[in-house]
Amino acid sequence: MPSGTRVDSGAELRAAWAIARKELRVALRYPMNAVNEVLQPLYQFLLPSLLLGATFLVGGRAIGLEASAGTNDLVGFLFLGMLVGGLVSTAFWEIAFSFKREMDAGTLEPAWLTPTSPRTFVLGRAISGLAISASASLILLVLGILVFGASISPGVVLAIPALALVGFSVLGIGYLVAAAVLLIREPNFFVDATSFLFSMASGVMFPVLVLPLFVRWVAYLLPSTYALDLLRVHAIGSRPLVPLWIEWVALVVFAGVTLWGGLRAFGWTEHRMRVRGALGQH
Amino acid sequence: MTALAISADLRAFGAAGMKEWRLLRRYPSMFLGFLFWPIVLPLAYVLQARGFAGDSPAALDAFAARTGTTEIAGFLFLGWAAYMWISMILWGPGTALRTEQIRGSLEALFLTPVSRLVILFGPLVSQVIWALWMFGIVGGVLVVFFGVSISPLEAVRAAGVILVAVPALYGLGALFAAVVLRFGEVHAMVQGVRGVFTVFCGMSFPIVILPDWAHRVALTLPPTYLIGDLRTALLGSTSIVGQVADLAILLALGICISAAAIIVFRRTERHARRGGSLAQY
Repeated sequence: MPSGTRVDSGAELRAAWAIARKELRVALRYPMNAVNEVLQPLYQFLLPSLLLGATFLVGGRAIGLEASAGTNDLVGFLFLGMLVGGLVSTAFWEIAFSFKREMDAGTLEPAWLTPTSPRTFVLGRAISGLAISASASLILLVLGILVFGASISPGVVLAIPALALVGFSVLGIGYLVAAAVLLIREPNFFVDATSFLFSMASGVMFPVLVLPLFVRWVAYLLPSTYALDLLRVHAIGSRPLVPLWIEWVALVVFAGVTLWGGLRAFGWTEHRMRVRGALGQH
Repeated sequence: MTALAISADLRAFGAAGMKEWRLLRRYPSMFLGFLFWPIVLPLAYVLQARGFAGDSPAALDAFAARTGTTEIAGFLFLGWAAYMWISMILWGPGTALRTEQIRGSLEALFLTPVSRLVILFGPLVSQVIWALWMFGIVGGVLVVFFGVSISPLEAVRAAGVILVAVPALYGLGALFAAVVLRFGEVHAMVQGVRGVFTVFCGMSFPIVILPDWAHRVALTLPPTYLIGDLRTALLGSTSIVGQVADLAILLALGICISAAAIIVFRRTERHARRGGSLAQY
């Protein structure tokens, strides 16, 4: 909504819900893509990682992982990593990159001419993206438990608020990356590379402690690092990176900071593009 | 076929390769990707291996016993370099034909007197340059950052393995292109085939740890031999069957797959001409 106009929060929320429903309907129209949401992480990341892990097993035990992460549940470690990896991927691909798809289809300008605020489009896509990611992650986790033998403790429920908090951060990061996507115009490589680096630095594939020291400091600045760590601590008893209360505080702070920063960056970019008339260009 | 026709086809082959190379040069951001992924993707798995090893001598010994080498970085970099080369080949010709179809230029291309082999294999020529570039980067990273010593003789042996793998992999790319032309879908098929290779061919692991049935599947797939022999040539790791036998199998698979690709492509073309589906998508 252009600045100076009063925002009707109820109408914006209804619009966000409608956008989310539209995105979900489109996703369900392509069942192969939906199946791929589960299969792709399985064959592209989980199975090669599990088999690499199996190469280091001694007497069937992951003693190396136990030394570096405090748990020998290789399967649980990787499947929980994939869960947070899915959330990161949602911020980059489902929320931010969808603007590029709209640009290519030529529907971005008409959509932004409607009375709905562009920020609401991001929110709508975040809702649908998180719903898809959560469903795919849940199926993967069940597969991990039933087929691959992950032993997830019931204590995992204690980490669910961490996932809710990181959901806000995902939305904030989605706003930030969406701003970059709008400015770059040819953002495939940017989104692909940053999404991958973000996941890696968060410890999706390996314990954060194996990262070189300077990269480890970057990892400590990512909300997903703490969400994943809390999840692993409560679900498979891994060793926490820092005391747990610090992780909870960090998650709350990051949720606020990323959302505030993301909204500011997106608002600034939106204004700049309207002034320059660059919305239809790509 | 006369010498004149062969020479004309070779010129057309060169022109097709040059066209693809020009298209690649027009999008410089792609160069970033070709520099970034050959380093960062394997590096992520090297860090993962470090996490799985956890500085435990027993875990490192288990890796060495199963792979026949202690060079973890070399083992993973070579596996993922092969993966990226295969990805390029799978995406390349299928996407090139599909793009021509979407642009509406495929029908015009088929009306030219040029051999179908040029249409099928022409786009792959430019990708040889990228493959060499990628293996060069991987070799450079291994030598400079991980201290892997690669002698000129070992480099020549690795180049020989790559050369022997060319018919099999490019035949696979061509076969794939024919299937794409028939069904008009690239993305899901590339993901599916790449997934099979990732799970069975040992990009990040030695195939000896696979269950029996999966091990047998791995032995029918050309990338298994490419990856295994590259590791044997450069790191001295255990070969799949035996180095000479591996190369002979790879070459034989290449001949069979290329022949199958030509047959399938001809049938697809005949089907498309009869159904008038070349311009449809």
